[in-house]
Amino acid sequence: MSALAHQRLLIVTGKGGVGKTTVSAALALGSARRGLRTLVCEVNTKERVTTLLGRPEVGPEIGSLEENLWSVDVRPTEALREYALMILKYESIYNAVFGNRLVGYFLRFIPSIQEIVMLGKILFHLREKRPDGSWRFDRIVIDAPATGHAITFLSVPQVVLDTVPPGPLATDATWMRDLLIDPKTTGSVLVSLPEDLPVNETLELHAALTAKIKIATAAVVLNGFIAPRFTDAERAGLPPELAEVARVHELRAHLSAEAETKLRTLPAPLTRVPRIYQAHFARAAIEAIAATLAPLLDGGRP
Amino acid sequence: MNPIAQALATKDVLVCVGSGGVGKTTVAATLALRSAVEGKGSLVCTIDPAKRLANALGLEALGNAEMPIPEKAFEAAGLKPKSTMRAMMLDMKRSWDELIEKRSPPDKRDKILNNRFYQAMSTALAGSQEYIAMEKLWELRTQRDYPLIVLDTPPTAHALDFLDAPNRILDFLDNEAAKWLLTPALAAGKVGLKLFSFGSSYVAKTISRFTGTETLQELAGFMLAISGLNEGFKERALQTRALLAAKTTGFVLVTGPMPDRMDEAVYFHTLLKQNHLDVAALVVNRVHQAVPQAQWAAAARLPDPLKQKMEATLQEAEQLAAADARGIERLREQCPGTPLIIVPRFERDVHDLKALWETSQYLFG
Repeated sequence: MSALAHQRLLIVTGKGGVGKTTVSAALALGSARRGLRTLVCEVNTKERVTTLLGRPEVGPEIGSLEENLWSVDVRPTEALREYALMILKYESIYNAVFGNRLVGYFLRFIPSIQEIVMLGKILFHLREKRPDGSWRFDRIVIDAPATGHAITFLSVPQVVLDTVPPGPLATDATWMRDLLIDPKTTGSVLVSLPEDLPVNETLELHAALTAKIKIATAAVVLNGFIAPRFTDAERAGLPPELAEVARVHELRAHLSAEAETKLRTLPAPLTRVPRIYQAHFARAAIEAIAATLAPLLDGGRP
Repeated sequence: MNPIAQALATKDVLVCVGSGGVGKTTVAATLALRSAVEGKGSLVCTIDPAKRLANALGLEALGNAEMPIPEKAFEAAGLKPKSTMRAMMLDMKRSWDELIEKRSPPDKRDKILNNRFYQAMSTALAGSQEYIAMEKLWELRTQRDYPLIVLDTPPTAHALDFLDAPNRILDFLDNEAAKWLLTPALAAGKVGLKLFSFGSSYVAKTISRFTGTETLQELAGFMLAISGLNEGFKERALQTRALLAAKTTGFVLVTGPMPDRMDEAVYFHTLLKQNHLDVAALVVNRVHQAVPQAQWAAAARLPDPLKQKMEATLQEAEQLAAADARGIERLREQCPGTPLIIVPRFERDVHDLKALWETSQYLFG
């Protein structure tokens, strides 16, 4: 069984700058290609998925990119408004209540209200059904924030449950948490790079996600992998100015192998994504990564 | 004069800002090291719990108290510092607790420390880390006499958070609307009538549909307990703002050569300028260097298939360097008037004081 074939919610995270967005875009593209209605969510950031896929930006409203593929940049103000409207039903009441300074104050003081409405919006779409009873989205890919912020973001249902006494917010936090910790529904995809810091952070992130938040790690992606190229004999015959070039290459290949060994201790399959050398990182690169990640998605449906 | 050297000579606070994963903490440590070696005693206050930095500084671990860098770490690196360098790591929860312990009246202390809203505020509330970093800076600046303090900042997801977060926390703690709400309660020394009448009002009913009424009651309890501290919070926040804007404070904006990081740097730069804060330099870290012509020439003389392998390797390096160079050019256009400092990518980690020192050679030209 492929590692990511069955989960409906994929949470892509890792240290800043490891390539979470490109991996998210590639996983979403691959899922859509397999006939799954797929939504890729960015979380309150500068929208990049659409640009990487060569499409115009969609903003905070869900927009269609191509067959079976939708994208949204989830932002707190819009998400709060949607959430409130869902409960209050009427725009006029929303404006009367949320326009109130005092209300604005209380909403900001309730811990992590921004995070809970953003996560709430994403998980709402995960539960949303079409008139024929099928899922509106078969799969949702979250391009989650980097390590520390991801942990804060994903712990938010639990934080709310610990802080807020029973009430509608606590009720919502409960089903949200239950969806996140169900390994049949949700899996994290940890993205790493072949360098010390990102690798160690991946190991710590795995520990935090599984032990603290109880989100299962479904796959590990080692991005920027560099394979060995020069043999020792070849290196011995090089002039000094090139020997250094070969040494550096082999050092990087060595770091890649070392990173792989460390990351293989995690209880989830590891996929190498070779380092891509392109001056303009765009759709072609995403297609190449999607092809590399194909084995993770093949052979099943959620 | 090199802009970083000038900043080191004329500033007594340097704040390293930028997105995560660009080597901000290393740059901060490098600045403090250089300063101490050249005779201006320094303290680097980091946020990053990376044990490696502690080890690079010859320490077992960094904690919430300032630790001097041991002499033998300098000796091992062949350095003779003219002054002392100290390092610490900001522990958010500890710093909040210490702040409350120091500032709150004894009868309120435990009430605050045990309140669920306090727990959430001191650990999980967005902006909390930024606020306490500012409090720490104020404390270090006013209660100690380090000639130079280098402050590393939390890796903000959003540039605005760092400048805005202290205000957000202050607003939580000392809000006009909330004061109006709690005034009778404050006077009576307990949560009183107004909250009760508030509880039956239309707006309160609507809020409680989201949160439950108990939340509002508990929140009021927390506000009441902490209200005596607000003036102090506000006063120090104002002083910190003034400190950040002072002529003797400089910002070092650190970025990497990746396009997304550079976009963030430009945005950050604009914000700093808008807030009239002095950007001493923009450091582009880990930049890929162009392939020297001599290497191409030497590669052409190699036999096949070694020649193909080598040319493929050089081609890859060339592409990375070209992408970085284009990015840097754009950065230069978009941040006019701010000196740009390029630090090349090293093929090894900064794992000891010597490597930190070597990094400083690039920062200082």
